[in-house]
Amino acid sequence: MEISNIIDSLHPLEIKVLMTLGARQPAVALKSEELAVAAELEPSQLSMAVEWLLAKALIEIQAEIVTPVVSLTRIGEEYYQTAAPIERILAAARDAAGTGKRLTIGDLQAQPGLESSDVSKAVGRLKKEGVLLIIQGGCIETTGRSSPTTEALRPLLEEVHGSSRELTSFSPERQQLIEDYSVKRGNAKEPFRVDERVTRSFVLSPSGTSAVEQLMNQGLVEEVSQLSPELLKDGSWRQKRFRKYTISLRAPRVGTGKKHPYREFLDIVKAKLVSMGFQEMRGALVETEFWNMDALFMPQFHPARDIHDVYFVKQPTHAAVADESILSKVGKVHENGGKTGSSGWGYAFDLQRAKRLVLRSQGTAVSAHTLAASPNIPGKYFSIARCFRYDQVDATHATDFFQVEGIVLGEDINFRTLLGLLNLFAHEVAQAKEVKFLPAYFPFTEPSVELHVRHPRLGWMELGGAGLFRPEVTVSLGVTAPVIAWGLGLDRMAMVALGIHDIRELFTDNLELIRTTRGLF
Amino acid sequence: MPTISIFKDDFESLLKGTRATNRPVSIEQVEEWLMLVKGELKGHNPETGELRVELQDSNRPDLWCCEGIARQIRIKQQGKSTPYPFLTGKVKPKAKVIVKPGMEQVRPYVAACAARGYQVTSQGLAQLIQTQEKLAEIFGHKRKTVSIGIYQLPKITFPVTYELVKPGETRFTPLGMETVMTLAEMLMVHPKGVEYGGILAGASLVPILRDAANQTLSFPPIINSREVGEVQVGDDQLFVEVTGTDLPMVVLTLNIFATNLADRGATIEPILVEYSKRTSLGKRVTTPQDLRRSKTIPIPTIEQALGQELGIKVVKKALEDYGYEVSAGKGSVRVKLPPYRQDLMHTMDVVEDVAMSRGYAEFTPVMPAQFTVGGLSRIEQVSDRARELMVGLGFQEIISNILGSPEQYSGHMRIDETEWGQAVTVDNVMTLSFSCLRQWMLPSLLRIEAASSRAFYPHRLFEAGDVAIPDPTHEVGSRTETVLGAVIAHASAHFSEIHSCLDTLFYHLGKEYRLEPVLHPSFLEGRAGRILIEDKPIGIIGEVHPEVLERWQIAMPVVAFDLNLSQLIGQG
Repeated sequence: MEISNIIDSLHPLEIKVLMTLGARQPAVALKSEELAVAAELEPSQLSMAVEWLLAKALIEIQAEIVTPVVSLTRIGEEYYQTAAPIERILAAARDAAGTGKRLTIGDLQAQPGLESSDVSKAVGRLKKEGVLLIIQGGCIETTGRSSPTTEALRPLLEEVHGSSRELTSFSPERQQLIEDYSVKRGNAKEPFRVDERVTRSFVLSPSGTSAVEQLMNQGLVEEVSQLSPELLKDGSWRQKRFRKYTISLRAPRVGTGKKHPYREFLDIVKAKLVSMGFQEMRGALVETEFWNMDALFMPQFHPARDIHDVYFVKQPTHAAVADESILSKVGKVHENGGKTGSSGWGYAFDLQRAKRLVLRSQGTAVSAHTLAASPNIPGKYFSIARCFRYDQVDATHATDFFQVEGIVLGEDINFRTLLGLLNLFAHEVAQAKEVKFLPAYFPFTEPSVELHVRHPRLGWMELGGAGLFRPEVTVSLGVTAPVIAWGLGLDRMAMVALGIHDIRELFTDNLELIRTTRGLF
Repeated sequence: MPTISIFKDDFESLLKGTRATNRPVSIEQVEEWLMLVKGELKGHNPETGELRVELQDSNRPDLWCCEGIARQIRIKQQGKSTPYPFLTGKVKPKAKVIVKPGMEQVRPYVAACAARGYQVTSQGLAQLIQTQEKLAEIFGHKRKTVSIGIYQLPKITFPVTYELVKPGETRFTPLGMETVMTLAEMLMVHPKGVEYGGILAGASLVPILRDAANQTLSFPPIINSREVGEVQVGDDQLFVEVTGTDLPMVVLTLNIFATNLADRGATIEPILVEYSKRTSLGKRVTTPQDLRRSKTIPIPTIEQALGQELGIKVVKKALEDYGYEVSAGKGSVRVKLPPYRQDLMHTMDVVEDVAMSRGYAEFTPVMPAQFTVGGLSRIEQVSDRARELMVGLGFQEIISNILGSPEQYSGHMRIDETEWGQAVTVDNVMTLSFSCLRQWMLPSLLRIEAASSRAFYPHRLFEAGDVAIPDPTHEVGSRTETVLGAVIAHASAHFSEIHSCLDTLFYHLGKEYRLEPVLHPSFLEGRAGRILIEDKPIGIIGEVHPEVLERWQIAMPVVAFDLNLSQLIGQG
């Protein structure tokens, strides 16, 4: 990496360490502690910075100095607080001499807190120094001489207590004493511990030196990590450098506000339809059988009206229809065609059945209402209506789904303009250039067409169904102009666009899926 | 509508004598022909030659069989239909079925014919049985209006009588059984008796067909006798009868059977049915019978509907190619449907047949040219605006089922038995999970919350959609209104957080609102408010009650609002 790039990516801690080392002229190595003090860093900050700089080869380890250091063990701390065995034994011996009592080794060993090993070591040392004598019967006597060990031990404990000291700071005699009383393998019960402390000293590497030079040349520009309102306010950002980031890292996740992908798809369809001149219609979730089926010339014995196809409402069961005139008018059409030019289905129309309440099972019910409410002629209407079917739910059947459907009214409406409209849908909604029109059957249209299109990604698929409303439907609802009824089957397109294979996933409760599904529309 | 199985070689042999006899016929050719009959090829097994065909037109039962499909194609290929002599009224019936008095109470009508000279093949038998099933099941409303029986003719002694008997007193061996049993036993133990017995429920006397040798042929509409009513491969003399409650449908069904058998080479012998009282077709009815009525249709009506000038010749040719009998008049045609059809209700039915006969591809699409203005309803505009604002506020949109369970919409929310818990419920429940319409939005959002404890927090969710609010003053007992619901869930979700969102929403929707404390079982007391505009409540906001969260098994604080957008714009 270019040295300037390295410099730009330096953390403020690293710069402090480099500048501290670079400030020593001529160059000298600095130990960690010296460096920490000089650079005004906490030991943890220093060790981070040193590791980073070593990794970037901007500094080098000049030397590793191994220093023996003395510290008190837990036992040493106890001796410091109370007394060492040798002190207690000497004091006991002198006390006995003063009072004329007999003192045996056994008496000493019986004292609380003194173990036989402690006793024998201390007595041995004192004997060697000529301070104690063991006379017949195991009795101890003092000689009256002083004990150098005992006298040296107390100041040593005091000096080492609290913080460790370098071994070499003591006199050779004391070093020997420490040596005698320190923890060794096989003997953990000693007051002192001698550890080896490794002290590293650091110097600038050649590239470190040039980095420092460059940093010097750049002047005393302070590096900051974050632009702040203060920096902007007083313009001091001009004197700052902005640390460069490692931008190849993975971005942290952010919570988003987003439309539901299926709704997004339906919104696009909605916008397309509006752009083609369609006016939106709304309808109710609960309908009478009349609007849901009778008005569409589906005979009351039609299989699709069975209890196994439609959800019936429990309470109230029937609508409180104020004006029955339209019901009987449509009823007559079912019975004998009324004034529509039809012979009708030839059965006795049940007015009560017409008032039975159901959950809307087809979007065409919404169109039926529009037909009866003096629609515009020419006029185009659409609805995206929630419908309900009494179906076992599986991967291809939902009990609760959207239907996109509508009507087109106009004096110029005929079979060919119907095909023209379907062509338009194929191009606009499915971006299809090839279409096929197949004969189809719907109870309320004649002629009826199924629209098949070659979708750019899906190949040949059925996009929708349409037809000219039967006069039995339109005339009895008060419309004499020809009317196209159309419906688009968009769920398959939506499922492909959303990358799902199960229709139930359109309404999934899996939040992660909803958040991460991309609609490729 | 029905999906049937046909066999390709059987189908091809029925097309004999047409230009289409070049065998084998390609599958693509079959698919193209199927357009003539509103058929769709659903499957093809090249090894057995079986084709699965779905027929869409529920008013064309004549097409729900191999013979009918082949006939429609054959007529198109030959450009004319061959008349059936037994439908001309010139063939005198040789045999009789006598209908005894009292039948009108139960199952009044019968039609029958004999067929000789067609030796039943195994494929032919399969088709015969399939047609019988499809017609009785779908056209005959599960045998209620029409059912069919086929018998070995030589075993029958005429005249046959159609009469009522006591179910416990008449006995025979039914198809599918080894032993003689009474009709009453058949209704109880025979699978067909169990399945269709309901049609005769409450009748103390039931119908049978019996011949002059006192032999019971069948127990319509339940089951045939095994001795007479089991047709086998190789039989070449058949007796076909149709019984039912609607005379034109009964006759039409027999016409379809007779033409099918005639197409396979049988000679059809009509039978005279003698009723005790006058029917719409008289007291003595010869079946099969041509029930066709003719209809005069002005050419301009057809041309206008199709959007194309065709002229009288083209129209006449198209209809003849489709099996019609046509005579040209002045600017009009007088048409008669073939005798196996009865689906001419309106001129538009003929218009479609002209289009199908010519082929939809013959019509060039034309764009509707009249200008119209597109637009969204007011409520959709407001809902879209609210949705956009919610997205801007960092909320993820949800779509849920509207049909759900009372447990979720009310029980979990602690509002069952309260005014808030009222919902539109379903009478014919399939499963409790889909048994009522949501009356508010919050449960739909908690459903997602309950399933998403592992999804990255915070959760900010919203849905705008329809709900059904019970309202006895409304014609259909409920109002459909558009509601916006929103929830926020995370470890420190708090009233003021959701309140800020609601406040921002109202500001941008340009509406003044205020909150009024409310005691609502779904929310913590003292932390819930009614949302009011001009003192009218249009929603609720608050911290969701911990017991509600427990019932949903949600282990995270949730704050929420539920706002009725329809009421907001005064469309409630």
